[in-house]
Amino acid sequence: MNTQRHSDVPIRILIADDDERILECYQEAFDNADECGEVRTLHALDAELFESDTEVPEKPVFEVVSCRQGDDAISLAREAASDGHPFDVVILDVRMPPGIDGVEAGSRIREFDEEVEIVFVTGYSDVPRDEMERRVPPPMRLHYFNKPLSFIKLAKHVAGIVKAH
Amino acid sequence: MADRAAARSIQEKVSITLFGVIGALALFIFIVLSEVVAPAFDELELKEAETNLKRAEKAIANDLENLSAITGDWGLWDDAYDYVTGEYPAFEDSNLARPTLANLDLVLLAYYDANGGLIWGQVDAGESSADLDVIGVLDPGTETAEFLLTHTELDGHIDGLLDTGIGPMLISSWPVIRSDSTGPIAGTVIMGQILGDNRLQRLRERTEVMLSWRATDADPTTLSLLENPLNGVGKGTMHHESSAGEIVSSGLLVDLFNQPLLLLDVSTPRRISALGQSTVNGAMLLLTIAGVIVAIVAWMLLRTIIVLPLEALAKHITGIRKSGDLSKQLNDDRNDEIGALANEFDKLTGELEETRKLLLDQSFKAGKADNAAEVLHNIRNAMTPLINSIDRLGRDARVTDDLKVRQAVEELAGNECPPDRAGKLLQYIESAFAFVEGENGKLGENVRVASKQARQVEAILTDQEKYANVAPVLEDLQLGEVLDEAVLVIPESTAAGVELEFVNGVDQCIVRGHRVGLMQVLGNLILNAYESIQRSQAQSGCIELSAVTESVGDQSMVRLTIRDTGCGFDDNFKQKIFQRGFSSKQGQSSGLGLHWCANALAGMGGRIQAESGGPGQGAEFHVLLPAAQGG
Repeated sequence: MNTQRHSDVPIRILIADDDERILECYQEAFDNADECGEVRTLHALDAELFESDTEVPEKPVFEVVSCRQGDDAISLAREAASDGHPFDVVILDVRMPPGIDGVEAGSRIREFDEEVEIVFVTGYSDVPRDEMERRVPPPMRLHYFNKPLSFIKLAKHVAGIVKAH
Repeated sequence: MADRAAARSIQEKVSITLFGVIGALALFIFIVLSEVVAPAFDELELKEAETNLKRAEKAIANDLENLSAITGDWGLWDDAYDYVTGEYPAFEDSNLARPTLANLDLVLLAYYDANGGLIWGQVDAGESSADLDVIGVLDPGTETAEFLLTHTELDGHIDGLLDTGIGPMLISSWPVIRSDSTGPIAGTVIMGQILGDNRLQRLRERTEVMLSWRATDADPTTLSLLENPLNGVGKGTMHHESSAGEIVSSGLLVDLFNQPLLLLDVSTPRRISALGQSTVNGAMLLLTIAGVIVAIVAWMLLRTIIVLPLEALAKHITGIRKSGDLSKQLNDDRNDEIGALANEFDKLTGELEETRKLLLDQSFKAGKADNAAEVLHNIRNAMTPLINSIDRLGRDARVTDDLKVRQAVEELAGNECPPDRAGKLLQYIESAFAFVEGENGKLGENVRVASKQARQVEAILTDQEKYANVAPVLEDLQLGEVLDEAVLVIPESTAAGVELEFVNGVDQCIVRGHRVGLMQVLGNLILNAYESIQRSQAQSGCIELSAVTESVGDQSMVRLTIRDTGCGFDDNFKQKIFQRGFSSKQGQSSGLGLHWCANALAGMGGRIQAESGGPGQGAEFHVLLPAAQGG
């Protein structure tokens, strides 16, 4: 990954979760450009008219691909990597019945993409944290979040870890 | 065959083996008796036949010796000497009258002079006397006469058997000399006794042997078997002919010239072999009876010692398999291998019972864990959009709060606002209203999503209620065993210095309840008692567990009382003690709450009561549970 990333370059994110409502939340969190434009206009007028020090947050641009099964996530990640446009971040639910679980999917993705940031997000995991780190190394590129969580904060966190790397 | 053998019971196998061994032993003994013991009797019988033959021969020899002795007396006699020398003619009248032969049981008496001339001789041929001519063998000039009448030694004499014209005869020839055994030899005296029926009868009576004799030419076959006839009447080879009832033993009697004269036959009844056979038969009969008795006794012993205990063990195992009740014990106090096996089996079932309880516990806990995990997963998933919607509402609310619409309107109303600024203020107000309008629309959508997800959480919780309403499996429980397991959860540090005492009835009471739940309730109550004693600052304490069965209405209940010497409580405390969330431990609660305990007991058809004399007076918790039917 580039250490200096331009804000216009979209952050490519692959999301796998068996719950469609959760996928909608992800979409809303990562895909709100219009909303950001309205707020940006307001903030600009506010600063000009009332000399306020409000800073308009620089919204990163996300390119989101989603799926509902671990096998699909592996295929999409493999396809993206082979096309030369690998995902920056893969967000995986741990329990995704009836297919393979997120840890297994992450482990297989790691086999062909050593640099992708893998984020596990789950309501409950049968797999202990240390086993996840053992199966999906390295720990520095592995992240873990418990549901319920704020996807707005998750989006900020994802943008942060991509920016850091 | 193998399947049939495998299908046989131990009792059948033991019986077959036992009777097989006994049968083989009986066959072996029969062979030994037939081939060793019975032939020994035959050998003994043959010895007796041989002895009888020798006895017969000996009797004939004795008769010959007696005849020789008499003949010697009549030769070693001065009167006879003088008679033979012609000096005493009256000897004939006084000593040789006919009764003399009869008195001496003689058939032949003859005196000869030194030259072999007959002086006097007579043959007693039954009714009348006869001349020596009837004998034949003493005719002058014959070899036999020459042999009998020639004596060279004073004590020389000739004795033996001789075939004569009147039959076989014992004959003795002595020289005639002085009574003081001095010579010269004056002549010869010859005496003879016939081997006739009278003598045969007397020999039979004397020897008690059934003997007889016959001419050698009457049985050439037997004669050919007797190869070594010896001198005199005595020893020769013997021949035995056996029949069913007797053994006929034959020996050879030879004459003066060692030539075969008579075949001596002795008949010996086969009493010994008959006795031996009856002994063998009797022994076989006794052995058969003894074998059968031994087999029956051994079979009964084996049945008592091995088969019945094994059957009891098998029945016990089958009973456990069918009922699934691993608490059943054989309690066999036998001090042998089967007793050890039964005890090991009891231990095994005990351990299996413990393992099953453990598995039940683990299954129960695993089930709860699985359920909790599922609920956690579903609720967290449902709450994620809810929280997200609330997050968005909060974010948008913050933006709305920051709008300065009122300030812009006031500035426009003041008529001092430059046109450019006024235009931008209007643009700001329009943008703000547009933003608020947009947010109003989103507000409804976010509230709808939040409401929908909240209902989803409610649906999940409702779904869980059906599991909460599933009645626990009730079973008959030994109260003492449940208490033993409940006490295991008490940490050693907590139990230090406190005496736990099981008193009346705890081990005898059987209650109906949910084992895991009851164990957790009782463990919690006992732990509370320990902690109450600890809080009382006492150096030592006591927890007493007792149980009684009592009737409550028409129901039989077991009352378990847990009495401690802890800090106790007052009436105000008592009113709240079973309320949800209430604890006397001020945030240090370590066990399940009493509220939960009361609910769990209610689910088993029981209840709980608490009593105390007041602070510092200790406490009593009464657990009432339905008694097991028949328990």
